[in-house]
Amino acid sequence: MACFTVSMIGAIGVGVAKHIVKHHEKKIELQHQEPKEYKFGSDVKWSKKLSYLELTLWTGSFLLAGEHILHGEVVPYPPFLTAMNSAEDTMEMLQEMGTVGVLMFVLLVVAWAVGVLIVDFVKFRKHKEIVAKENE
Amino acid sequence: MYFLTALGCTIIATLLWFFFRDRKNLHLEILAITYGAATLMWLVDCIFSAAGGEGFLSFEFPTDGWISLWTVLGGIFIWLILAFILNNKEKTAVTE
Repeated sequence: MACFTVSMIGAIGVGVAKHIVKHHEKKIELQHQEPKEYKFGSDVKWSKKLSYLELTLWTGSFLLAGEHILHGEVVPYPPFLTAMNSAEDTMEMLQEMGTVGVLMFVLLVVAWAVGVLIVDFVKFRKHKEIVAKENE
Repeated sequence: MYFLTALGCTIIATLLWFFFRDRKNLHLEILAITYGAATLMWLVDCIFSAAGGEGFLSFEFPTDGWISLWTVLGGIFIWLILAFILNNKEKTAVTE
């Protein structure tokens, strides 16, 4: 009915968080000129990591929005969602958003977190190998 | 049906991303992420449909066929637009 809107709202929230983090990163960069010590996950900036989550949420919602349009659940005139025509349907839609929509959002965030962890781990291992070679 | 289409597209896009990982300007990660995200979202939808007594997969013709076509074309559309924007951004950054 409107399950994709949860991920859309999530994408807007992530977009805002990304801009705040980016601003904070720029501030830190200006303050600390000397190279920082290497830490797990410090290879890729958090703003870049969040931009991948934003992309995941927006693109997934975009394809699902198309599906809902083709199913006739989203229309180009107000109230835009056919489920909002009656109170009963609206309640059903909200219930679906709270279950299916939220679970979709959570699953996408988990998949992103796993992806970020894998990338960080690979980069960390590469860094350790370089350090070990340098010490030889 | 569109879940299977998205799953197939995810596998193909991920393989393409892996084989052309050195050609960063292709931005194939966008294509893989787009289809991957839609696949996960439809997986949840399919699980809830199955739990609600409907089938796990739906094969309603012709609607599902159109949605499958939309899945393929929509993903390619997003990829083309975003790759174009990102490549132009990178070019501008280099010239500056």
